[in-house]
Amino acid sequence: MSEPTPRRQPRLIDPDLAARIPGLRLVAASAVAFGVVSAVAVIVQAVALASVVDRSLLHHAALSTVTPAIIVLGLAILARAVLHGAADLSGLRAADRVVATLRRQLLEHALALGPGWLSGERPGELSLTATRGLRSLHTYYARYVPQAAAAAVIPAILLVWVATQDWLSFVVVIALVIAVPVTMIAFGREATKRSERQWRRLGSLAGRVLHLIEGLPTLRAFGREAHGRREVEAATEGVRSATMRTLRVAFLSALSLDMIAGFGVGLVAMVLGLRLLWGELDLQTAMAVLLVAPEIFIPLRRAGSEFHASTEGQAAAARVVEVLETPVPASARVDRLTGSGDGSGGGSPAVTGRAGLTIADLGVRYEHRERAALTAMSLQAAPGKRVALTGPSGSGKSTVLATLLRFVEPATGTMAFDGRPSETEDVATWRGHFSWLPQRPHLFNATLGENLRLGAPDASEDDLHRVLDAVGLADLLANLPGGLLTAVGHDGLTLSSGERQRVALARALLRPAPVLLLDEPTAALDPPTVARLAPAIEPWLIGRTVVVAAHEPVLLPHFDSVVALPAAAALPLVGSS
Amino acid sequence: MSRTVKRTGSRTDARTWRPLRRVLAEPGTPYGRLALAGLLGLAAAAATIGLLAGSGYVVGRAALRPGLSAIVGILAVVEVLAFLRGPLRYAERLVGHDAALRALTRWRLWLYDCLSPRVPAALAGWRSGDLLARAIDDVDALQDLYLRTLLPVAIAAGAAVIGTVAVGVIIPWAALALGLPLLVALIVPALLTWHRGGDEEVAALGGTLSAQVVDALAGAPELLAFGAEGRLVQAVEEVGVRSDALEGRQARVGTAATLLVQVCLAVAVTAVLAVGVDAVHAHHLGQVMVAVLPLAALASFETVPAVPLAVARALEVRQAAERLFALDDVPVPVEDPADPAPLVVGVPEVVFNGATLRYGPGLPRALDEVDLQVPPGGRVAVTGSSGAGKSSLVNALLRYWPLEGGALSLGGTDVRDLRQVDARAACALADQRAQLFAGTVRSNILLGRPDATEEEIAAALRAARLDAWVAALPRGLDTPVGEDGVAVSGGERRRLAVARALLAPGRVLVLDEPTSGLDPVLADELVDGVLAAAGERSVLVITHRAHEAARCDVTVTFEAGRVVPPPA
Repeated sequence: MSEPTPRRQPRLIDPDLAARIPGLRLVAASAVAFGVVSAVAVIVQAVALASVVDRSLLHHAALSTVTPAIIVLGLAILARAVLHGAADLSGLRAADRVVATLRRQLLEHALALGPGWLSGERPGELSLTATRGLRSLHTYYARYVPQAAAAAVIPAILLVWVATQDWLSFVVVIALVIAVPVTMIAFGREATKRSERQWRRLGSLAGRVLHLIEGLPTLRAFGREAHGRREVEAATEGVRSATMRTLRVAFLSALSLDMIAGFGVGLVAMVLGLRLLWGELDLQTAMAVLLVAPEIFIPLRRAGSEFHASTEGQAAAARVVEVLETPVPASARVDRLTGSGDGSGGGSPAVTGRAGLTIADLGVRYEHRERAALTAMSLQAAPGKRVALTGPSGSGKSTVLATLLRFVEPATGTMAFDGRPSETEDVATWRGHFSWLPQRPHLFNATLGENLRLGAPDASEDDLHRVLDAVGLADLLANLPGGLLTAVGHDGLTLSSGERQRVALARALLRPAPVLLLDEPTAALDPPTVARLAPAIEPWLIGRTVVVAAHEPVLLPHFDSVVALPAAAALPLVGSS
Repeated sequence: MSRTVKRTGSRTDARTWRPLRRVLAEPGTPYGRLALAGLLGLAAAAATIGLLAGSGYVVGRAALRPGLSAIVGILAVVEVLAFLRGPLRYAERLVGHDAALRALTRWRLWLYDCLSPRVPAALAGWRSGDLLARAIDDVDALQDLYLRTLLPVAIAAGAAVIGTVAVGVIIPWAALALGLPLLVALIVPALLTWHRGGDEEVAALGGTLSAQVVDALAGAPELLAFGAEGRLVQAVEEVGVRSDALEGRQARVGTAATLLVQVCLAVAVTAVLAVGVDAVHAHHLGQVMVAVLPLAALASFETVPAVPLAVARALEVRQAAERLFALDDVPVPVEDPADPAPLVVGVPEVVFNGATLRYGPGLPRALDEVDLQVPPGGRVAVTGSSGAGKSSLVNALLRYWPLEGGALSLGGTDVRDLRQVDARAACALADQRAQLFAGTVRSNILLGRPDATEEEIAAALRAARLDAWVAALPRGLDTPVGEDGVAVSGGERRRLAVARALLAPGRVLVLDEPTSGLDPVLADELVDGVLAAAGERSVLVITHRAHEAARCDVTVTFEAGRVVPPPA
């Protein structure tokens, strides 16, 4: 944690982000405006209270003569409260807008970057950023930015006012205000030095507890529950003492702020008292300055206490910007995501007398891989033709399909559909030519019907029943309590891998696209099921080009052509060609 | 796995504070330390009141030009209080956090004790890890009840009493003028917050939102290929907007609560000032006090705005507590018999006799009248597709879940008459997850038998085909594994679990998918090694590979919880 000073915080607003989200500058600007008005209210409150004290203390004024001043005092306090509330709400609203925009942009951009980018740890990380990260960013905008703005404005205005009232008090207060960043930086450095080591230790202790509890079934199997319990206790106690060591240092900056604020009041009271004794000041002024002095430190302390929100929010903002600034590869650029990606699919299934799918001399290389994933691959498939794409694992069968779907940018070669080269079509239109059964299909957290309609939003209930019947899932459907409305996916019904594969096949068949890409369609199915499947799905294949990728021709009894890919070892090393 | 835990807590009475009371009533809560933290915080609040009131006195008294000696004493007090306030608050923070962390230790152990008799079979969602991750988060959230609710509320109430008494000593009417608004400011915003509602909905929407995002990213290839990405982004946005709207409503309640505190402050300060002015005018009160009273009133309110925030935090803690206590309400599936039978010495015969197992009423039978024998020294393979009941066999054998009908005996004794630890001690399990714990390679394989000799360890490693891997490690057996240690691949982890089971004293080796993730050659070597090393012990292998089954005496195939009769 590099500990910047609260007074400088507004500069921490990331200019990149500020440029991307027009609302942000407005949040800061309106917080500044609220700050100015609220500083004026503080002064009015102090002057009103001071005038009442002055007249009562020195002149024993009757209540009725000071009543107007008391009313002004009450109204000033109320005005501050209302301003504070309004600032809160407007900050919140702006933060809502910012976060909603970013959430949308983040998802759209991640999806536009495509499956190649979204592999490995990325989806997990990204969903954390899109949920927890954006939440802390929300706090940052809703609380921290307004408070940082207030911390910059209010003390400055109040200080100027104090300077016009009593220069000596001003000197005392400004000295203490300057001490704030100085001590914060000093303590912050110390805290950073110490805490990095501690946090690492804390992380590993917390991980140890997690693994012990996660491993409880194993511990039980070996009768070692008691041992595990002792370990949990020891690790948690370790967390406690390590945390306490960190906190002792981390709280020092709060301590310094508290002490500076305390001395602010104490020393100003002394200065004012002495100047009153020496007759250099009148009570009215002294009392007002005494009331204003603590108010100078309050915004600083508040901004300091929200510091944590600032570091978390900044980190989240940095991750969001990082994702948003990752360039989308030219092949996968989507021009109008919501406009074109409505899932209605491309052409009609009954296409005849056209050129169909042509792949010529296709080559693909993945970054950081020694060998090319695919070289000089060609394929020609007219409408209604069936092509088997065979080869041992690693020979690039799935790569061909990924390239066809424009998830991967080819290094060489061309692809065309009905004579239109891929680069002349926008990516959504291009993808509309294809339907796809992936090797490891994902079922979405939605109903069975919604999953089936993924690529065919307008499919009728009758279509859904017919396609489930074709893939041999009519029995499954009949036994489902909710029928097509039964939830599947992560939180829903658990399907076996064979059932999942057949649901995904049904989904692919249902999409009215002229080309069907089936990747290992029989991997999770036993031979009798496959034998039943082939004739049943036949009506769904009429007039469509079908490409089946597998180690050998499977699923269909007859193929018009077989494209055999060589084993990975036969592919040239990158750079050697 | 059973579906006994509902995803959301009970919704009987949304406003009940019973879960919070149950948290606070937990024995071992460090109330001594919490009280100390509260007293320190109260002292800091009192110092603030003293500092401001004293400053008012200094200025008011000095205005009468009495001579330096008249204000020196009080000035000294003011400076001491100014100095003390910071350290008092620092001490309060440290003592409070220490107390909360001590309470956290208790709660972590509570969770361990709560889960221990129920995992893995009794808790739905255990396998995916979501349940555990949330339970740990929930336990961590409990500390806020002490730190962010209990202490701030206690300190604010205490400071209100101190402030009221202080002004009451100066002039009794002022106690009323300050005390009443303070009382309202303490209670009404808190009640307003407590009844703000929507917490469950906000939490549920938050869950939906992250589930949707995770789902969208996991299924990104299909979304793009099927041109459905726009629809999903739209759906996420809609949930986001609904969630923002609800949270916005809660935030407005929070703003109203804060506003109310400020209104009370305005009333208190003006009323106290009016009382003071009137008393001075009537010569009932020394005139200096008119400078002291309003400052004391302002200072008495300093800790009050924290109260509605504390209540809001308590509402979040309550949800966490409800979820945790729901875990504790899941019935413990297996209890020890009152009068346990001893376990026979030697290799016990395992006999499933018409065994039927079901994870809940109305759910399909996971084991359906299963007959299965593993004679002493026998080698039995169990195959079948996933969900056919293979892992339920393990759950029954290791007594994680009871049989509903039929019987299971170990060495001729019905398992129901055995203590759970004895039944488990008869077995040595290499489970599918192959869980590793933080520590070294050695500490992990010695889990089953901490006193194994070096020769025994070496033999087990050889049998599990891990000898070369261990030899290549920088510090051999003493190489750390886990987060801070060497990376262990899935296949290596499985083999470590097999070595661990081989070392354990249990006489019935149970290997659950020991070779998944291994290449076929290594898989065969491993199975051969293990079967040879098992010696006189019995072996039950759960597998989907025909190769392994072929190496056993008997192969039993499961389908939908039933044993498929061998072809005649």
